[in-house]
Amino acid sequence: MFEILRKKKTDATVLSDMVNKQRRYDSLVRALHTDIFRYAFWLCGDKHVAEDITQETFLRAWRSLDSLNDDKAAKAWLITILRRENARRFERKQFDYSDVEQEQLEDVFSSSTEDETEQYWLRRQIAKLDIEYREPLLLQLIGGFSGDEIADMLALNRNTVMTRLFRARNQLKDALDTPEVRGQSNG
Amino acid sequence: MDDLQFRRQAYGDPNNQSHDFLQHMANHPDDAKLVKDLKSLDNQLTQALNIPVPEDLAEKLLLRQQLNQHQQTQKRTRYLMAMAASIAFIVGVSFSMLRFTPIDLSEHALAHVYHETKALQIEQDIGFNDVNFKLANMSGLQQSKFIQQPGRVFYTAYCDFQGVKSLHLVMQDENGQKVTLFIVPAEERLKLDSVFADAKYKGQGFQSADAYMLLVGEQHSDLNYVKREIEQTFI
Repeated sequence: MFEILRKKKTDATVLSDMVNKQRRYDSLVRALHTDIFRYAFWLCGDKHVAEDITQETFLRAWRSLDSLNDDKAAKAWLITILRRENARRFERKQFDYSDVEQEQLEDVFSSSTEDETEQYWLRRQIAKLDIEYREPLLLQLIGGFSGDEIADMLALNRNTVMTRLFRARNQLKDALDTPEVRGQSNG
Repeated sequence: MDDLQFRRQAYGDPNNQSHDFLQHMANHPDDAKLVKDLKSLDNQLTQALNIPVPEDLAEKLLLRQQLNQHQQTQKRTRYLMAMAASIAFIVGVSFSMLRFTPIDLSEHALAHVYHETKALQIEQDIGFNDVNFKLANMSGLQQSKFIQQPGRVFYTAYCDFQGVKSLHLVMQDENGQKVTLFIVPAEERLKLDSVFADAKYKGQGFQSADAYMLLVGEQHSDLNYVKREIEQTFI
């Protein structure tokens, strides 16, 4: 009799915990999947791989959702999982992506108008950036993280992060300001 | 703030809001223009970075998680079922092992006498009809009874011989020495020694129609007398 009463109560709590967790996860997915997917894309340069990594990231997030105490830290937390997941991809598959990815950046839109051509060109420039310059820039522009937060996430010191951001912008700005290079790369 | 430092900060984060940075911008219009350019670069970059996300990505993510969850629940159910089954199996096996292990009656009889010392101190006088009443309650011994009083009976109680319900009596020999008698319904797994002893007590075992009888008394008590008495009165 007691057993039955107790069991019922536990089941109910477990169930409501599950519902809460599910709700939490739902909102996490809806709020952050765009940023996570974009970050993944700019990390690996391939839409399908980015989707795979995003899937893995969110699945891992689900499994350890209980360890996420602070909802504000969710984005940083997800990006940490994502970066680990991306690194794992290189452990799993021995062949080298890095030669391909920068040059064969996927054409994700049709470049019909002047504006879009410009954007396409800019995208290629971003993809051409070394990953060590690209990543802090992504964290700043997509993630909206401050220099300190980026330093934390990449395990670098703040000065290094600021230097990399400087170089990243500098390279992009140079590329934008030098029309000949631009002509070449548009081919 | 010198120029180099300003440029570093501007390129690092054009949206820098620190007082020094803003101050420098106010004092140097050229640098303010640089920051404006950088901000517009940032705008362009942000737009370029905003690649279209597959429309159904969120749904896919949720679906994948649901499926995964479902699988895990099923795995856990299977695991629990397997656990329950093996526990039931172990319980079953050990239960039957327990039931079929032979029981050494003499050892238990001695242990019982040591354990229940109060039985030898109680000085009641119980009639054989009461004893018969108790015997009638024991499975396998419904037909057995004393036909007359087998000397004085000081104590009687049910006791447990490894799961077999049996009767514990305290009687006396011709010198008035107390002798313990156990009546145990005959069962195949019981092992009966005709004579046994340890440092303090000695004992005898014999079989009646449906039961094993075990007598335990002190070294100098006359068990044969009690045995004869029981053989005459117990059928």
